[in-house]
Amino acid sequence: MPIKSYLAHPLEGKKTELIKAISDISQCEVIPAENEDVVIIVTETNTKDEEEKLKEQLEAIGSLKLLALVSGFNTPIK
Amino acid sequence: MKRLGIISLFVLLFIGFITIWHFSYKQGLEEAYVPIVKEESITLIPSEQGVFRRSEHALDYAKMPIDEKHQRSLDDYYDNRAFHGAPPSIPHEINGERNMGGISCLKCHENGGYVSKLSAYAPVTPHPEMVNCRQCHVPENTETLFRDSNFEKAPAPLAGINNALMGSPPVIPHQIQMRENCLSCHAGPSAPKEIRVSHPERINCRQCHVPNNKEVKDIGIFKRDNNE
Amino acid sequence: MDNSLTNRRSFIKKMAMLSAMAAAATMFPGIMFASEQEEGLPKGKDLDWKKTPCRFCGVGCGVLVGIENGKAVAVKGDPKSPVNKGLCCVKGYHSVISIYGKDRLTHPWVKKNGKYVKTTMKEALDLIASKMQTTIKEHGKDSVSIYGSGQWTIPDGYVASKLFKGCIGTNNVEANARLCMASAVTGFMTSFGIDEPMGCYDDIDHANAFILWGNNMAEMHPVLFSRILDQRQKRGVKIIDFATRTTRTSMASDKSIIFKPQTDLAVANAICYEIINNGWVNKSFVEKHCNFKKGLTDMGYGLEDNYKFKDKPEGINFEEFKTFLEDYSPEKVEKLSGVSAKDIKYMAAYYGDPNVKVMSLWCMGPNQHTRGTWMNNLIYNIHLLTGKISTPGNSPFSLTGQPSACGTVREVGTLTHKLPHGVVMNKKHREHAAHIWDVPVENIPSKPTYHTVEMFRALDRGDIRFMWIQVTNPMVTMPKLKRYRDATKKEGRFIVVSDIYPTPTTDIADVILPSAMWIEREGMYGNSERRTQQFDQLIDPPGEAMSDTWQLVEVAKRLGFEKQFYYKEENHIEEIYNEYRRHHEGKKHNMAPYEVLKSQPGAQWPYVDGKSTKWRFNAEYDPACSNGKDFHFYGKPDGKAIIWQRPYEPAPEEPDNEYPFWLCTGRVIEHWHTGSMTRRIPVLHKAVPHAYVELNPEQAKQMQINTGDKVKLTSRRGSVVLPASVSERGVPVKNSVFVPFFDENLLINDITLDAFCPISKQPDYKKCAVKVEKV
Repeated sequence: MPIKSYLAHPLEGKKTELIKAISDISQCEVIPAENEDVVIIVTETNTKDEEEKLKEQLEAIGSLKLLALVSGFNTPIK
Repeated sequence: MKRLGIISLFVLLFIGFITIWHFSYKQGLEEAYVPIVKEESITLIPSEQGVFRRSEHALDYAKMPIDEKHQRSLDDYYDNRAFHGAPPSIPHEINGERNMGGISCLKCHENGGYVSKLSAYAPVTPHPEMVNCRQCHVPENTETLFRDSNFEKAPAPLAGINNALMGSPPVIPHQIQMRENCLSCHAGPSAPKEIRVSHPERINCRQCHVPNNKEVKDIGIFKRDNNE
Repeated sequence: MDNSLTNRRSFIKKMAMLSAMAAAATMFPGIMFASEQEEGLPKGKDLDWKKTPCRFCGVGCGVLVGIENGKAVAVKGDPKSPVNKGLCCVKGYHSVISIYGKDRLTHPWVKKNGKYVKTTMKEALDLIASKMQTTIKEHGKDSVSIYGSGQWTIPDGYVASKLFKGCIGTNNVEANARLCMASAVTGFMTSFGIDEPMGCYDDIDHANAFILWGNNMAEMHPVLFSRILDQRQKRGVKIIDFATRTTRTSMASDKSIIFKPQTDLAVANAICYEIINNGWVNKSFVEKHCNFKKGLTDMGYGLEDNYKFKDKPEGINFEEFKTFLEDYSPEKVEKLSGVSAKDIKYMAAYYGDPNVKVMSLWCMGPNQHTRGTWMNNLIYNIHLLTGKISTPGNSPFSLTGQPSACGTVREVGTLTHKLPHGVVMNKKHREHAAHIWDVPVENIPSKPTYHTVEMFRALDRGDIRFMWIQVTNPMVTMPKLKRYRDATKKEGRFIVVSDIYPTPTTDIADVILPSAMWIEREGMYGNSERRTQQFDQLIDPPGEAMSDTWQLVEVAKRLGFEKQFYYKEENHIEEIYNEYRRHHEGKKHNMAPYEVLKSQPGAQWPYVDGKSTKWRFNAEYDPACSNGKDFHFYGKPDGKAIIWQRPYEPAPEEPDNEYPFWLCTGRVIEHWHTGSMTRRIPVLHKAVPHAYVELNPEQAKQMQINTGDKVKLTSRRGSVVLPASVSERGVPVKNSVFVPFFDENLLINDITLDAFCPISKQPDYKKCAVKVEKV
């Protein structure tokens, strides 16, 4: 059950679009920065496959310039 | 000529001997003197300095998870104190009846930690510099009383009710003396849950929280007499 | 950060989010995530939360006030404000309580035959206008005056300036910021030619070392100090407290260096000596961007009436400057100042190291100083010699005391010699102002009249017969108070006081007008980092209380100036602000438009092409730089800053055999200035109910004085009896005492001295001589 956090950089001027696109995806929490063009994404999925699919969805967003992984945890279901 | 040379050599040696002996004698007469260096008194304002102690651990406090099963409440806190402000009695066994405390108490109570034998977290002392612990903190060696007593334990200040406005920083209802170090009691797993703060990383506590502990009489709201 | 977690997963999610935030903070210093703060805030019932800048100090925190049923009931920090990022101090959190004191003034009071009679607002304003007209007719235009405040909002100051300078035609406009920031202003004007700091609060996120010159920042600018403490936790910066007594700030700093009063002049010069003699001078910066000058010395201290001083600057070169500094080697300064040569070299090493970004912060220590302008110049000298200026993290930052001393007094220009743009002495500036004010240019007089201390002296002599005092309490804050209190009680003086509570100043008034306070009217404040913040009217003022702006507009209309004061009551603040903006057009000083201020927690000026300029004079950040070089000090005609040669001179009244102690006055975190607002907040009053005198513990022991014992302080001007405080909030050095001035029942200013810096005219509240006796 991977939990990952990313720093997402939007294309020039596309921050609000990016925030909207990410909030549309479930299993994702988005925390925008107030005074810089960067947002934090925290994802939580149930299996590795879902994680892969989610990552592809994120990378397909048009207003995303760069997605940088910050930390990842694998928490097996007890 | 040779004779003159030898005689003058011995005369020189003799003069040299006299001079050095004289010099050494004079030196020996001087008293050994070690100048007294006045020690720089470091000004300490205990009530102001204490607030910043343990601040190097503040970020660690912020990230510490809370152990709900083993935390204590304000009731537990006041259980082993005779009244609000009294020194707590020692609820566990002590080894070494002859020592006064010091390092044998501080090894657990300076930084706290989980003690499995007692299933609890050791409270951190706000005044570790006072090493004669057993001057004030004594164990409870028996449950029974000698004679009954009429002493009424006055209610201690409650947490959560002394904000001036909704959301204001609560005031400090207790004295500051000997409790200058906020983080030791208000942060970490050993803190009673009602008073554990949500923001231990903001070190300058007295920027927002001021003491309002003068329980003598209600001074009332400051109002001027108009001279009308 | 709210840490109530219920299971391992949420804990891990929280850790993931925190690591991402930490990573973001390393890439973008100063980044903020609002939701993180909003989580921890109390979720109350449905309160209306509205933004406003805080009513108190010059940090200018953004706060949100909770309004319920037309009353302000709660305060929280505004997480969107880049100044404080959701944090306040104890005064800020309880600020709204100060609106609801039981003895709030709700109606005007007029003194008739020695007794105060309640009147209506209309009658009171009519009386004021007619009294002004008769006074002007009998004694001339310069017999009326207005004494305002750094707590005036921008529109208040603007209409005051327009009425008195533009319409009536007198330069008798002054404000209490003269007593607080004048030396900082003249420091800026002499060194750079243009006012206000070139850096901003973002420097805190970039600097590696913070040197605090004579200010108790932990208590006086607490939220900024917490930002510095935060940086120390995250980046390990160094904080050095350079002061005359040990305070909370000393306890929190990495190193506390104590110096003898007035010798900060010598120590600053010693640091310059070290910089030059160790080869730490940034030669290319100095050659390209600095000139050297020296001024007159032995200037006197302004103790006599009608004291006049004009500085005569003379150009010098680097070699002459270096020779001058030979007298200020650390070993020589050590004896004079009590600071060891090692400590002086320690501080100089931070400034000299090109890889360390240094931020110098100061407030009243160097400003309330009989050589305050010189002291400001010297701190700039250090930064200019090393080239550590106008870049992120390298910043000599002059902190402001009052919430709008920058915004109103300095930017609108409510001082005797200033106009919104420029000075009265300059013909072009008068024409520019007259054009926007719609008055004939001959109205604006070309000579400045009196600065604050001289203005009250003129009131004493009778040259001024009418004074309007707004939003300030001079009967507690003027130095050598007894003379000026007696002056106001003399025959033929008519004093109008606009205030919210009865104070010692309303006690001597002929007319008392009730004012609307802070969020009871719309307004704008400007804080230390050039940020203008707007606030709406959030609640109704009580009774007939009226905003200071509208009081002035009403009187102006009665004096016959309806044409210039055409503003409509519904949106007069917007109209006034838009008119005021026109004075500052241009890349160097453009103010943000009204809509921008309304929608966000303020904007910094110069506001050019929709962006606030954060670092001025640096061509990379400041669009006003036009000379093609990397730094352009456009305040001066040749684009270069000035390094001033300033010597050490002793204080006017130093301790001697008869009066062996230094007396220093100041504040505590709980109380604001004269306490008229904060003492009516029960939490703050209970924390510090009365003033006291701090004594050195060793000396107190010798004199057998304990905390609470009554102590009598006597100076050449009078005496005051105060309870002693030993080793509580602050510890002065031997032969030194400290008294906070918030207590109107223990008026410490009765015994202070009204000496001032001859260039800035700012009095020195930190140094005079007293004797101490146990009563």
